[in-house]
Amino acid sequence: MLNHLNEKPINPARVVVLGARGFIGRALVAALQQAGIAVMPVSSADLDLTAEDGGDRLAAMLKPDDAVVLLSALTPDKGRGLQPFLSNIRMAASLCHALAKVTPSHVVYFSSDSVYPMRVGLISEETCAEPEDLYGMMHLAREMMIKSATKSPVSVLRTTLVYGAADTHNSYGPNRLRRMARKDGRIALFGQGEETRDHIPVDDVAGLTVLALRHRSAGTLNVATGCSVSYAELAKKVAALFDGPVEIVGAVRQSPITHRHFDVTNVRKAFPTFVFTPLEKGLAKAHCEMMEQG
Amino acid sequence: MSKPVIGFAGMTHLGINSAAAAAARGFETVCFDADAALIAQLKSGKLPVVEPGLPELLEQSKSRIAYTADVADLKRCGVVYIAADVPTDDRGQSDLSGIRALIDTVVTGLGGNAILVVLCQVPPGFTRSLALPKERLYYQVETLIFGRAVERAMHPERFIVGCVEPDKPLPQAAHTFLSAFGCPILPMRYESAELAKISINCCLVASVTVANTLAELCERIGADWSEIAPALKLDKRIGSHAYLAPGLGLAGGNLERDLATVCWLADAHGTDAGAVRAWMDDSSHRRAWPLRTLHGEVLAAHPKAVIGVLGLAYKENTHSTKNSPSLALIAQLKPWRIRVYDPVVPVSSAAHPDVTGCASAVEVAQGADALVIMTPWPVFRDLKADQLARAMAGRAVIDPFRILDGKTVASAGLDYFTLGVPPLRDKKR
Repeated sequence: MLNHLNEKPINPARVVVLGARGFIGRALVAALQQAGIAVMPVSSADLDLTAEDGGDRLAAMLKPDDAVVLLSALTPDKGRGLQPFLSNIRMAASLCHALAKVTPSHVVYFSSDSVYPMRVGLISEETCAEPEDLYGMMHLAREMMIKSATKSPVSVLRTTLVYGAADTHNSYGPNRLRRMARKDGRIALFGQGEETRDHIPVDDVAGLTVLALRHRSAGTLNVATGCSVSYAELAKKVAALFDGPVEIVGAVRQSPITHRHFDVTNVRKAFPTFVFTPLEKGLAKAHCEMMEQG
Repeated sequence: MSKPVIGFAGMTHLGINSAAAAAARGFETVCFDADAALIAQLKSGKLPVVEPGLPELLEQSKSRIAYTADVADLKRCGVVYIAADVPTDDRGQSDLSGIRALIDTVVTGLGGNAILVVLCQVPPGFTRSLALPKERLYYQVETLIFGRAVERAMHPERFIVGCVEPDKPLPQAAHTFLSAFGCPILPMRYESAELAKISINCCLVASVTVANTLAELCERIGADWSEIAPALKLDKRIGSHAYLAPGLGLAGGNLERDLATVCWLADAHGTDAGAVRAWMDDSSHRRAWPLRTLHGEVLAAHPKAVIGVLGLAYKENTHSTKNSPSLALIAQLKPWRIRVYDPVVPVSSAAHPDVTGCASAVEVAQGADALVIMTPWPVFRDLKADQLARAMAGRAVIDPFRILDGKTVASAGLDYFTLGVPPLRDKKR
């Protein structure tokens, strides 16, 4: 649950976005700029948080009235092994080093629903975080590192599966399904696509983050829509966006069926007037953007 | 032996009801509270609590009831019950300072052979911890139910009595009094009796949690919990009085207190309280059902929706709002205008920046985009679906406790949402 230090929303003086060139980072920078909030986008090209001097260099960038958003991470498509784990921890350690020198007005950490075990079908913020792999453990460790490194209020945003045309990760979700349909006229599912998941458009993630920044919120929030669909349903919705026929094919299941739903009551409580983009609308927008990109 | 005089210290909901029942059973009854203003109010016939049947019961026995703010008036009592409210904090932890202070006061007015009985919800170990002669100290389980307190006090299923030596007969005064109710008397050691009270509540919560868990599943898979529950009640292992009505989580404070007590006792003694914590999680999840339904069905599409809320009390037939699901919902609806009516609780109880108190349930529905029946007051059953359909601007009727007939509501052109069954929608639209 988030507690708002600003009951009425106030724009932060400046938001330093670490990982600004990533999929969510770009959307967040755009949303902040659209809201008239000063942004300092920082990418790995500007500042290598894994470098020895990463923390000092970051500290030199920060001002006490800044809000800092940490999105920088090696995502699972870069590997789920020990090296990405250590690199990601190293990035967070640099932020912690900087936070020891400068106390910003607010810190937002982008975590992941990978901190939750797959055996739990309905997730809320009260669900015990028990990561099942190093990637989830990394996020949980980074959450704890950051919270213990600063006196600033910290928002931990645990995002579920995020989609949008600009996503480069190609993990199993709307983006990959859309790309498969476009390239091959065919969507291949794991099993018969029985698993249910919650897919949130990147613009909604950015919108909720802007709200958390403006309210200077502290606490943990799962960033999910509360509406899960099966991959089979998702494939049908994606296929329907194409003019031509798209074949949807199943495969012999290699792993057990798992489901993930979110109880988003705390999102409703934190940001009652926020309206999620319906899945059909979000998919259609991502589809149009992809087609425009060529 | 002549009938003993029975004393009650603490003119709480529990104290007044219990005293009324004692007097109705033919015992001279002394009602003590140090609050002179409260005693004056009681003497004038004004009750500080809402409880069906209580004014009538007190009226018919008034010749046997003496109200007093003077503790010395307890001197003539053979049995004195401690009936203090034991407040809880947000985590369900009891504040025992009030009951200890009351006991200290009462002891100064107690007769030489009088029996002292603790009738409040206290954690196991409390009674034995009191520095009083144990042969005159007892604990008795209370099973007050707000809204049904008179019936429970007049016709208890049994008396559970905590004693220092359960094998010894009860003192004559206590035995004479309890025997007048014609139900079994179960003496047991203090800690057993104190934990028996908690055990009863745990069984109730377990049943409700089963109902909540499966009712939610019914809502998703097309089953109807109201069809299933009667079948369960015919099973002798479950029983016809089992608590199988789904609800909006625990409220009122007493059940929450007992669950919190089990958790801290289990933690302190290294026993497993995982199931109890799961019940608490379920309670919190189901409490938000109206909020989720409102967001999913109304608020996302109507940013300027007007919400009608019927009921503020935590349950019907009471003035209590402790942990009220209605007040919890209203607190989350601050961006929207709300209209409210409760037969007993004033609108000032609702912390909301834009709330309108209405004079009736029908008035609440006027212009509302959604109507939420948050307390199952019997009077709300009189609402007519076609009347609501004409009055409301929107179509959503959210009725967790099935106060209205869903099919009739849907036939009137409204969308009906309740616990334990999928939504019933107007098919004509």
